Amino acid sequence: MDDMLSEFLTETTESIDEVDVELVQLEKDPNNPELLANIFRLVHTIKGTCGFLGLPRLERVAHSAENILGKVRDGDLIITGDIVTLILESLDQIKYLLAELEANQVEPDGNDQGLIDRLDAVAAGREPEPAEAPSTLPEVAEERELKEGEVSLEELERVFQDTPAPDTSASVEPERELKEGEVSLDELERIFQETEALVDAPQAAEEAPVEPAAPEAPPAASIPAPAEAKGPAKSPESSVANSTIRVNVELLENLMTTVSELVLTRNQLMQLLRVQENQDSDFAVPLQRLSHVTTDLQEAVMKTRMQPIGNAWAKLPRIIRDLAKDLNKKINLEMIGAETELDRQVLELIKDPLTHMVRNSADHGLEDTAGRIAAGKSEVGRVILEAFHEGGHIIVQIRDDGAGINTERVKEKVISNGLASEIELAGMSDQQIVRFIFKPGFSTAEKVTSVSGRGVGMDVVRTNIEKIGGTVDVTSVQGKGSTFTIKIPLTLAIVSSLIVGCGNEKFAMPQISVMELVRASSDTEHRIEKLNDKSVLRLRNRLLPLVDLRQILNIEEAVSDTSAEDAAAEEKGRGPAAINMLNKLRGRSRDDESFIVVSHVGQYQFGIVVDQVFDTEEIVVKPVSPLLKEISVFSGNTILGDGNVIMILDPNGIAAHIGDTTMVDEDAADANTTATNVDSGQRALLVFRAGGDEPKAVPLALVDRLEDFTMSSLEESNGEIVVQYRGHLMPLVNVEGATRNEEKERQPVLVFSDRGRSMGVMVDEIVDIVESTLALEIETSESGVIGNAIVDGNATGILDVSHYLLKCYGDWFENGHAQPKVTATSPSEKVLLMAENQFLRVMLDSYISSIGYDISTVTSLAEARELYDADVRFSTVLVDISLDEGGFAFAEALSSEPGWSDATFVALGSDASPEEVERMGQSAFEHYAEKGNRQALRQVLDDLEGKESVAA
Amino acid sequence: MTTNQASDLFDKGGSENLYLTVKVGDQPFGIPVLRVHDVSMAQKVTSVPLAPPEIVGALNLRGRIVTVIDVARKLKLANATTSENKNAMFVVIEYENELYSLKVDSVGEVISPDPQSFESNPSNMEQGWREVSFGICRLEGELLVLINLERFFGGAIQVDTIS
Repeated sequence: MDDMLSEFLTETTESIDEVDVELVQLEKDPNNPELLANIFRLVHTIKGTCGFLGLPRLERVAHSAENILGKVRDGDLIITGDIVTLILESLDQIKYLLAELEANQVEPDGNDQGLIDRLDAVAAGREPEPAEAPSTLPEVAEERELKEGEVSLEELERVFQDTPAPDTSASVEPERELKEGEVSLDELERIFQETEALVDAPQAAEEAPVEPAAPEAPPAASIPAPAEAKGPAKSPESSVANSTIRVNVELLENLMTTVSELVLTRNQLMQLLRVQENQDSDFAVPLQRLSHVTTDLQEAVMKTRMQPIGNAWAKLPRIIRDLAKDLNKKINLEMIGAETELDRQVLELIKDPLTHMVRNSADHGLEDTAGRIAAGKSEVGRVILEAFHEGGHIIVQIRDDGAGINTERVKEKVISNGLASEIELAGMSDQQIVRFIFKPGFSTAEKVTSVSGRGVGMDVVRTNIEKIGGTVDVTSVQGKGSTFTIKIPLTLAIVSSLIVGCGNEKFAMPQISVMELVRASSDTEHRIEKLNDKSVLRLRNRLLPLVDLRQILNIEEAVSDTSAEDAAAEEKGRGPAAINMLNKLRGRSRDDESFIVVSHVGQYQFGIVVDQVFDTEEIVVKPVSPLLKEISVFSGNTILGDGNVIMILDPNGIAAHIGDTTMVDEDAADANTTATNVDSGQRALLVFRAGGDEPKAVPLALVDRLEDFTMSSLEESNGEIVVQYRGHLMPLVNVEGATRNEEKERQPVLVFSDRGRSMGVMVDEIVDIVESTLALEIETSESGVIGNAIVDGNATGILDVSHYLLKCYGDWFENGHAQPKVTATSPSEKVLLMAENQFLRVMLDSYISSIGYDISTVTSLAEARELYDADVRFSTVLVDISLDEGGFAFAEALSSEPGWSDATFVALGSDASPEEVERMGQSAFEHYAEKGNRQALRQVLDDLEGKESVAA
Repeated sequence: MTTNQASDLFDKGGSENLYLTVKVGDQPFGIPVLRVHDVSMAQKVTSVPLAPPEIVGALNLRGRIVTVIDVARKLKLANATTSENKNAMFVVIEYENELYSLKVDSVGEVISPDPQSFESNPSNMEQGWREVSFGICRLEGELLVLINLERFFGGAIQVDTIS
């Protein structure tokens, strides 16, 4: 019984929501018989199941509502706003009863005579009367009498009324099935109950909970099974209905967790394979297959969690309708892209913020009817809700054509609430001022209405959205309306993150908050400058406030504390010369060269100074232990592919850290904040040339990486151009209309990634990154280009990334993974590369192997020793001498080993100082190459090879 | 408090009278064996910056993240050098659906002491120790401090939230 009751509650709640939406539609479109039939059927089902479960109070309300709908359907009544309001009221009553039922397992005491009387009065053809109408009593009594003979009469009536329904509904069903998979579940359950429950109730109750076990099998295989289990399907809907089943959410969550573990384990295995000396290991092929199956499984499981965003919107039409009545406005809510899917966890979390924002738009955004007419607008205000995918995120926009945000009023409020001073405001653009609505303690509503203006405003919305890794922004044009844009991740379970190093520790940063990476050094235009002891970076004519991750995390001592380092170095058993070298190199790497992760929290941008930047990795976020909850700079932790635990940095927490310093040194920090706020209509666009002189552009956010391949590393496979990229083959395509220029030495490539797959678009030249509004001036039908926009004063074609992704993927699946990893053909030389810097290592690894050398890489002396102990010998050893660990010490330690004493040691440096060169002369190094200069490096390697062959 | 009353207390802690003995510094401790999830050798622990001093960091136990607690620091054992011990052992405990690992110097055996040997905490025992201990078990040649895990972690978590 309990199972049946909870089943009933879930189903009825869903039906009620659906009726809510459809009634509002019906009001606008009263002559739509399909709509009406559907509403009638839903209400009828509710009534039917109530009767079956013995819930008289619910049944009576539903019955009376159904009577009206029946009359409307038969043409005896014309649907009017009043009737709809009345039916909605009865739905509310049903909702209330359901809530009570859910809480107490029984219907609450009391009766709904007043409401039923009014409903019956309408059904009898009278005007609805707000007051109780005693004159209707006799009729009600008659109704009740009918009810006494319940089963037979009701049944008869239902069967009778149901007969025309299947025909109309059959045409409705497929359309709804396309729209949202869930509805058909209702269908299934309803038919299930209608056709069988009465006959076979106990069995039904038992069968339902057993069902969910099925979905663990591949979806394709499991589909027919439940259909048969449910017995012969009689009504026409069932063929559609049987293709879906209801699954317990908890089961899906468990499945998701398990799959996440599987993904991590897969990553660990892949990592092991990567570091294996012998890439042709027997494990390689099965592992590749395991990897693909895992990826497929992961995607499939993710899909099961996906739900159309429309589910979160279902209540909105009703809310807007009620609001319109309350506020005496005319509001038209348009919903676009309701079918856009996102993770149900995310969906749950954005439901409330969305509702709040739509209410806000209707309440504060739109003017009242008189105001609109005065402003020369149509009296019906529009609120447009739109959702779409963009680069791994869902964008939800809420637009209204109301008055826009009154910046003057915002200013007054800002000043009166002490959020900023008048002088500060004077220096801000309207855009920046409008954004104050997201600040805590801000609400502009002068009149508190029943719906909004209670002080919990947009800051709560912002906090909630940022909690799930999303962002929210607003643009507003006075007199024209405002647009709120929410950007949210597709899923929370697996996030792409950037692995950064600080001291000896690694940390993960969610990619969504990383805008770009800047390598700052004293000899480039990007260098860290001090402003009253606060670090800032000039970045594209703006000052970016910086925070040092070391300081925040309290890792190691201050930069100038060299004595501690001496001690540390001595401890590790290095000679004084090495220490000097080390200090010098360290000084260099800290003061003059570091990586800055430019991140943002909402619109606030700041830079995080880190020591190193490693790879990006897909991680499964796990909550931190309760013992560590208090540490605000971590949002979670995870296990990396190599099996190590890593903490995930929380940009919000780090930003809060800056917030503290703001209080200490308000002027300086505020100046920075103001300066770094970027206009929101602006987007970073990557401008490039390809196939012609006219510039083309693509939103920078879509570009995963920019790569510069040597021509020789490009290979042709099956007529497609591919390149070895991070252990995979990555397909490359030309921009439409362009041809590949084979005379050049290097090929700049824009790398786009989508769910772990990458492809590259070859371009002639990367021109610049500019901030510009992306307003398409001319739409075009030309393939590969979305349209033309004015960027930086030039007409620029905007690249249609999806076109190229689609172009590649077909081949990608066939070619990209079918064959095992390609290794360099006939390696002529064994080269060991020792570099701690991930970028350098990956770059040189791919480059050196691409020019035909068999290369191994290590990051530390310890790793090199492992190779040595494993009897691996090399003819050439390349050592990055700007290593923290001390390239010289490394070379000295290794060259004294008998097995490696024959190897040629080559120092890799950049801009070596005279002292360094001199020191190299005295050390084990025989050659020197600029690490940034590939040609020179190749020259050195080729020369050495020549030497070897002569000697042999 | 009589010996019998004390042994009643023990029964509330671990229903079976089995304890895993571990050593932190020179001091033996007893952990209710039914609560022990796993015992593992030294492995890579990721340190967590800004964490309270008794938290060593986090490690990966077959796909689950385990918070490592240095028992010596937690119980303020001044002489113990557990934090530097390269051969330290990790005793993994589940508490409120979270896994914690106690870093100890060595792991002994599982014993089932005679209930007659149980004593309640001596009154001059340090407050911090009394809080996390059920009582003492008299063994031959040494005294085993029986750890009440609820108090051990409850205290740890409470202290953390206050700080």
